[in-house]
Amino acid sequence: MRIAVIQFPGTNCEHETLVAVKECGMDGEIFRWNRPEQELCEFDGYVIPGGFSYQDRVRAGVIASKEPVMATLREEAANGKPIIGICNGFQILVESGILPFGDGVRLALAQNVMIRGGEIVRRGYYCAWTMLRHDAEERRCSGSYILRRGEILSIPIAHAEGNLVSSDKKVIERLIEDDQIVFRYCSERGDIISEFPVNVNGSTENIAGICNPEGNVLGMMPHPERAFFAWQLPWKHPRVRGYGPGRIVFESMRRYIEERRL
Amino acid sequence: MKVIGLADSELESSLRKAGIGMSVSEARSIATILGRDPTLAELFCYDAMWSEHCSYKSSRAVLREFLPTEGPNVVLGPVEDSGIVSIDDEWCVVISHESHNHPSQILPNEGAATGIGGIVRDVNCMGARVVATADPLRFGDPYGRESSRVRWVAEGVVDGIWQYGNALGVPVIAGDVVFSRCFDYNCLVNVVAIGVVRRDEIIRSRAPPGSGEKGYDVILVGKPTDSSGFGGVVFASDTLREEEEEANRGAVQIPDPFLKNVLFKANEDLFRLVREEGVEIGFKDLGGGGLTCASSEMGAAGGYGMELDLDMLHVAGEFPPEVLCIAETQERFLIIAPRELRERILRIYNEDWDLPNVYEGARASVIGRMTIHDRYIVRHRGEEVVNVPIKHLTGGIRYERAWRPRIRNLLEPAVKMPEDLNMVMLELLSSPNIASREHIYRYYDTEVQGNTVIRPGEADAGLIAPVRGKDFGIALSVDSNPFYGRISPYWGGATAVAEAMRNVAAIGATPSTLTDCLNFGNPEKPEAFWEFRESVRGLADAARNLWLKGYPDQPVPIVSGNVSFYNESPEGAVDPSPVIACVGIMKEISKAITMPLKESGDEVYLLGPRFDELGGSEYYRVIWGITGANVPVVRFPLERSMIYTVIDAVDREILRAAHDISNGGMAITAAEMCMLSDHGISIDISSLGDMRPDRLLFSESSGFIVEVVDGAEQEFVKIARSYNLNPVRIGRVSTGGIEIERDGKMLVRLDLEDARDAWSSGLREAMR
Repeated sequence: MRIAVIQFPGTNCEHETLVAVKECGMDGEIFRWNRPEQELCEFDGYVIPGGFSYQDRVRAGVIASKEPVMATLREEAANGKPIIGICNGFQILVESGILPFGDGVRLALAQNVMIRGGEIVRRGYYCAWTMLRHDAEERRCSGSYILRRGEILSIPIAHAEGNLVSSDKKVIERLIEDDQIVFRYCSERGDIISEFPVNVNGSTENIAGICNPEGNVLGMMPHPERAFFAWQLPWKHPRVRGYGPGRIVFESMRRYIEERRL
Repeated sequence: MKVIGLADSELESSLRKAGIGMSVSEARSIATILGRDPTLAELFCYDAMWSEHCSYKSSRAVLREFLPTEGPNVVLGPVEDSGIVSIDDEWCVVISHESHNHPSQILPNEGAATGIGGIVRDVNCMGARVVATADPLRFGDPYGRESSRVRWVAEGVVDGIWQYGNALGVPVIAGDVVFSRCFDYNCLVNVVAIGVVRRDEIIRSRAPPGSGEKGYDVILVGKPTDSSGFGGVVFASDTLREEEEEANRGAVQIPDPFLKNVLFKANEDLFRLVREEGVEIGFKDLGGGGLTCASSEMGAAGGYGMELDLDMLHVAGEFPPEVLCIAETQERFLIIAPRELRERILRIYNEDWDLPNVYEGARASVIGRMTIHDRYIVRHRGEEVVNVPIKHLTGGIRYERAWRPRIRNLLEPAVKMPEDLNMVMLELLSSPNIASREHIYRYYDTEVQGNTVIRPGEADAGLIAPVRGKDFGIALSVDSNPFYGRISPYWGGATAVAEAMRNVAAIGATPSTLTDCLNFGNPEKPEAFWEFRESVRGLADAARNLWLKGYPDQPVPIVSGNVSFYNESPEGAVDPSPVIACVGIMKEISKAITMPLKESGDEVYLLGPRFDELGGSEYYRVIWGITGANVPVVRFPLERSMIYTVIDAVDREILRAAHDISNGGMAITAAEMCMLSDHGISIDISSLGDMRPDRLLFSESSGFIVEVVDGAEQEFVKIARSYNLNPVRIGRVSTGGIEIERDGKMLVRLDLEDARDAWSSGLREAMR
């Protein structure tokens, strides 16, 4: 089972993402953007990691989304192979139109706007640990394949543009109807509260991650590779050996590939 | 340019007209050595190399006299871009520490960003992977005469740091911020970077042995050279004057984290190539003094000369040779490598990582070769524009600066006992110098690389585990208190070292090495130079007397540092600010502890007797508006014992939380341990002697407050006694608020929510 971790100029999370892939028993390698894109077809799954591809020029993710490797990934997505885009990877998937419906750019990940009590209390970059509620059905999405609906994970975010918006209300309605909303920002008890700090970036419906209609492509703003080991967790968690909540995303990918093969 | 035969006044005016900062006597000495009039390009090269920034001409004698730079763990002392100490037999920490003060005052965003850009190059060029940064910042009074400028600078600096560091992908794991009127016109923006490297894979910033005989290539990689930062080191070596602000903007460099990110990855491939080939190369970043500084220092360090051809340089336009030589265009590195590797090195940068398409005009170019003669020769358009003895150029000059104590009439005041200590506590908690740093650190990507174990806000030091599969971690902390430095530069230096070491000990890590970034006024003024000298003496005494744990009588070595003079405006100089960074080694990251209280019922102990030391304290400053005179001093054996006790107790896993006592004294220290926690604290100070309660609670004498694991109190006391300490049980973790009593009388009773509100709003308001 081989996973390609796609590296654009400006990507900066490829190494820890590859560690997560390998730790889950998958083979993997970092795939530089200017390698022949046909070589991508040999892989069983793909992760587009976080960073600032092409310096966020024009808009975060937009230049990378035009690279030949993304055209290949679109084909591989249509073949049902799993793709997980994390942070800038999510932005690239949205800009390439692979998410949400595979038919063009329907969403934007806009600048974070933190709102509390009807007032904007902060804007822009924010790095913090957040609580996520898994809102999709079990086995709905490649990157949350073995998570049950309603399970809660603690995973950090670090971005300036993760505020998911659409000018077309129907897009959000369709995401809800088709069970494409995979993760939502929630309180420690799992409640969806629309205000900061629970809704950490102002995202519509507290959306932190979505999948395509087929479920094989996942885009999420939080970084599961940074919550992969227990020692990476904040001070409140006991400092123990073993794994953290982010592992389940990569483990899900492996299980998804295994079951698809059967 | 004519030097010989000109009268002093003529020479002075022609130097200034050309934009050269050196003195008349310096120019004459160059003409004497060359035996002819120097060219314009030569004068500019010398001007950069002999600037305070590059040559340490004022400071070097003092640094040599006092600083302990050797120790059993030192792999490379302060001779190249970064210092290196060993972690174990295999791995080393690489550390560098610099200032970017002048540029940040003029253009805060670009100035601060360039500071990070430069420091990470310093660490990377030793062959290391850059794994963390820390940002000690000093801004003016946000409520004072220059409040709008101060806030503009503070906001711009923080933006510059996050915009650069986050994009590059290096986490910020430590830092501090102090606001004081003395920084109104001169902010201080220091930056520390650390990296990790295997001991046998260190790359040196010098021409390798044999490179002259074999005529190795000199290869420049990165951004095309332009005129940005031209004269930057000369600008950094002068006092800031408002009327020159416009002209000085041109001396600030323009950073690019995106290109740096790609360059770092290409550099990794270069390192891999030379490891596989088993050859030694020279590798150095281009910083202050540009191409001339990097190339001549590498040549001189290897004992060789070199010949460079500026026509082979990739450039971003037409520039005269002196600009190409010393402009400080960012994101560039210099390689000295055998000719056999030329094609493969060029391929890494120009094809694999496709620099020309990633950034317009960026690439790797062969620009010259090494020679066995001792000259530094530069050609431009077929003409020799520089031909000087290389060691004369890099040797710089020395000044013996005069010093004279600065007399300040500081007295210990007679203040009355406040009626309501609750109000005092709330005011201190909301002071911008004490309040939560969350407003700033949420801008920083503290998690990138996935190595972070303890992040800003959680403890006195940050901790990362940068090598997967290894149990060890690297702790990092920074410290300097300008208010102590104002009263006594000696104790300002010593307490900065002691506190930085206490900070890493508070999570359980053992102090391993120190760096110093010495920020002072104009060294040509005897009082400023005295402050510098005293601070260096103080910090050196502390480093020498606090000992590397396990090696009695051996100092904690200072392996890297930087001197920043001329932090002065017509309004005066900054208070003496020797900023210290301390690296600690944590053998097992799983044992590290944090600051918040964990379990109600646990007993809380105080380490460190309270002395009447309120000089420079937050209490005096915030509540009474005075400085005072009784500055905290470092009692070396006591300090050492406290640090060792905490390290040993954490190693035995009998502490649940620890916090060192500093700004705000023991009362604020205790309160801070409740801020992120769900727990409160009940303290009884009846057994701490009869000092007046406000003095006892807010004195900033050093110490620790620790939460001991239930049932392990005896063991903790035993460890402390083995170091001749008497820890005092002062209270318990509670389910209520913050309570402090004495002899049955409640002195402080604060609701946690009220305390948190004050603490969490102070910095946000100051930076709004």
